[in-house]
Parts: sequence; C-alpha cells; structure tokens
Amino acid sequence: MILSMEQVTIRSREKTIVDGVSLTVHEGEWFALVGQSGSGKSLLSQAAGRMLPPNLQMDGRIKLHGQDLLSLSARQMRDIRGRKLAYVFQDYQGSFTPFRTIGQHLDEYQKVHGVTPAAIRKQQGMEALKSVGLDPELYRRYPFQLSGGQLQRVSIAMALMLSPDVLIADEVTTALDSVSGHRILELLAQKQRETGCAILFITHDWRHVRQYASRLAVMQEGRIVETGGKHRILDHPQHPYTRQLIQAAPTLRKPGNLLPSGLQEVTGQ
Amino acid sequence: MRELSTPAIPKRSKHSWQGIIAFLFVLITVMASIYAFGWLKYDPNTTDLGDRLQEISMLHPLGTDHLGRDVLTRLLLGGQQTLGYSLLALGAALLIGIPFGLISGYSRGWIDRIFMRIADGFLSFPDTIVAIVLSGLLGAGIGNLVLAIVIVKWVNYARLVRSTVLSEAQKDYVQIARTNGLSPARIMRRHLLPHVIGHVLVLASLDLGKIILLISAFSYIGLGAQPPTPEWGAMLNDSRPYFQSRPELMIYPGLAIVSVVLLANMLGDYLRDRFDVKREVQS
Repeated sequence: MILSMEQVTIRSREKTIVDGVSLTVHEGEWFALVGQSGSGKSLLSQAAGRMLPPNLQMDGRIKLHGQDLLSLSARQMRDIRGRKLAYVFQDYQGSFTPFRTIGQHLDEYQKVHGVTPAAIRKQQGMEALKSVGLDPELYRRYPFQLSGGQLQRVSIAMALMLSPDVLIADEVTTALDSVSGHRILELLAQKQRETGCAILFITHDWRHVRQYASRLAVMQEGRIVETGGKHRILDHPQHPYTRQLIQAAPTLRKPGNLLPSGLQEVTGQ
Repeated sequence: MRELSTPAIPKRSKHSWQGIIAFLFVLITVMASIYAFGWLKYDPNTTDLGDRLQEISMLHPLGTDHLGRDVLTRLLLGGQQTLGYSLLALGAALLIGIPFGLISGYSRGWIDRIFMRIADGFLSFPDTIVAIVLSGLLGAGIGNLVLAIVIVKWVNYARLVRSTVLSEAQKDYVQIARTNGLSPARIMRRHLLPHVIGHVLVLASLDLGKIILLISAFSYIGLGAQPPTPEWGAMLNDSRPYFQSRPELMIYPGLAIVSVVLLANMLGDYLRDRFDVKREVQS
C-alpha cells in the first residue's frame, strides 16, 4: 500500500462534494478511478497533493508511505510534490507557462528539488525527452511550437523525471484524438513497467480501463460505489450504477462470447 | 498561436515612426539630463540683479530671469528635478503596487480581501486632495509631494496586476508548477510576473505624463519644489509677474513640460500598440 485515503470528505460552503471516500493504491499498480463528470474524482486526486482551492474544506486522512500528508508543513509538502507524487493533467496546452521554453520547465523542476549542477540538469532534461520518444531538439522550443501529443509526452517526461512513487493521471487522453491518446497510454504503461511507479488513473473511458487498469473504483456523486479487480467489476458488476455505466459504454461488447473485460466466458458444467 | 512554427515576431506596425520619434526624444532628454548632472558647471542659483531679465546672448543662451539667474541652466537642472522625482514616484508606486497585486491575486481568500479593501481605501482619495492634505500636515516640499503621488498611484498598479494574476493563476500551468513543488514566491516571480510586466509598463508610461504634470502643477502653486530649487512648475510661477514684458520666460519651462508629457504619452501609446500586437499574435 503506497497511497491510501481514509474517509476523505471535501465540502464547499454549500454542499459536500466528496463524501467519506476511502481507497488504497498499491505499489506498481494501475488504479483506475472511473465516474461521470462532476462525480468528484478530480477533486479527490487534487486532495492527494493538497492542491484543493482554498474555498474547499477537507477532512479525513491521506497517507503516502504511511505518512499523513495533511499533517505536513507547506515546505515539506512542496518536497513531496513532484518528487514522490506527480501529476499529469488533461489540458496539455495550458500545462506549460507560455513564455518559457520546454528546457526551462525541465530545468526549473529539477532545480527546486535540489538537482545540481546545471549541466547535469540539462543532460537529464534531454534524456527525459528522449525517454518519451521526443527529439532532444525540443528542449529549446516554446510550448506553442509543439503539438498536443508532444506536449502531453513532455508532461509525462517531466512528471516521471524524478521517479515519483505515485503518478496521478487526470484524464490525460481526453483532449487528444484517439490515436494520440492510445500512444500516450502505451507510453505510460511502458514507463510504469520501467519505473514501477503506481498510477492513479482518472478517466471516464471504459476502453482504457479494460486495457490498462489492474484495479478500479467507481465513483458516483462523491461516493465510491464499487471497488475491486478489473475483471471482477467489468464482468460481474454488483452495483446498479456500475452496470448502468458499463452498458452505456458503446464499444465494450466484443463480437463472440467475450466478457466485457476481454476474458472468455466459461460456461460451467 | 498553435499553428505557428516560428517564434512570434511582432510585426512593425504603422505607428513605429511614433516610437522612433519618441525614443529619439527620450535619448535627447536623457542626454540633456546626464549633461546637466555630470558636466554643467554653472550654479543655477547665482543671482545677479544687475543682469536681470536679459535678452538672449552668448553668455545666457536663453536669457536671465527676474533675479538674473541663467534660464538655460535652470531649465536643464529643472528637468532633472521634474523627471527625476516623477520617475522616483513612479518607481516607488511600482515597487509597492506590483508585489501587492501579485500576492493578492495569487493567494486569494482572506489575504486578497484585506489587501483589496486597503487598496479601495487609498483609491477613495483624489490625488490633489492627498497632496494638499499631506503638505498641510507635513509641510510643503517635493518629498511630501512624491509621497502623496505614491500613495495615490500604487493602487492602480496593484489592481491591474491583481486582475491579471487572478485569471492567470487559475490556469493549469500554475497548478502544474505547484504540483511540481515550486514555491509560491518562485511561481509569482518566474511564471506570473512576466505576464503582467507588459501591462504595467504601458500603464506606467501613460502615468508618467500625468505625474510630471502633477509635480509641475503642485510646484507652480508652491506645494512641490521649494525655491530656489529650479523646477519647471516653480519657474513658471516665478516668471508669472513678467509675462507681459518677457513672455518667453514662461514659454521655456512651459514648452519643456508640454514636450516631455507629450513624449511620455507617445511612448505609452507606442508601447501599448506594441504589446497589443504581441498579444494578438500569441493568443
């Protein structure tokens, strides 16, 4: 167990947005958090890094390696962000400061986490770009000179550069077309095999869940209604909401006798 | 901006001649000030009542005033006073306003509320009233006048910076910077400040003209630079009784004020055009 949330409740002044959610992410697994827009999954992921907007209140406990994140000082929290807990967001265009080069982003990121000297930072930055299949030339480019897929690759390179224990990927493919999205997920899966980091994958796309996730939790209106292994939930959903969601997903039924998760149905004798 | 494959180079607009003239004037003004500061050996306060109200001559290129002081010398050194104090006031207003706006816009919540109520409080005083009240309380003098201008002007910058930062800080790149473990100070300095500096420069250059006018105006009514310090507004006032006989004594400092204010405004316009063009290309 690497990241655990216990009874996390997030409320604004008017209403409770996330209501007593508990979940655990184990080492090296791909944990999918599925739910409709507005179900509170993004807020929950932001709460993990204590990134909630100041007008929201949070209760409960969030532990990383057994250490309660909510008890840490702002400075300790900054050390954890990026080094142990990294984020990749949906909006690749907005993920980079427009007037700073890719290289400056990569460099600054390492600098604040104490990587010296500058020559090493530059070398590592270029290598990070190479490791996600990009030309190191891009180091000197500005964000608006890159395509969406390239930018999302840079985000992943940046998030994984200091080998975090948990990577939170918040709808990373939503803004991309399906081919680029698929490539990005392949890249994530490959990087996960290489680094062994756990991924908390937030999505509403069941195809990605089926293909990549090892475990998942389904969220509805701020509560987790069902959690478990991928095959268990996809093939034998317990909760009516999960059933409804799976049925609403258009591409899950495969021709032939395959179950939604891709397994062959065994008819017991 | 997404389609561009080369860095955006702002196109030369049709207003660029304005910019060139403005920059030429700046150059001339700055050189005159440097000359006056470094090499000018004449004392602006040497009075010679035998030589009062002289015409233009080799010894006094612009003549002498009612106390026999050389007008050109006073004009040059007066420029130093007027421009120097205007820039000082502007700089101080920027130094207070920008950090105020940055912190307020970035942290939001109660810090923002308190900061902005303070700013609203300052905003409710008209600049003329503040200057008059301050000189009434602390005594007339250029220092108090600068203080009054700073008190009135910093609020504009704080509000401008805050409004830009407020919208920018919501964007994902600031969130990403935070998730990457960057400190708030660093985010403000490196990721937000460059965004606002263009707007601030434009507003500042437009304000410069107003501040010069304000300082001259207050020196004219005796609340700014005190005699015998040479200052354009004060020189105007000094020569007022001699307007019928020697009108040029008022024309020289008047022209100086007009041309410098015009120059500051042209520069502001030019900068605004320039920055707007850049924003169009980028977004």
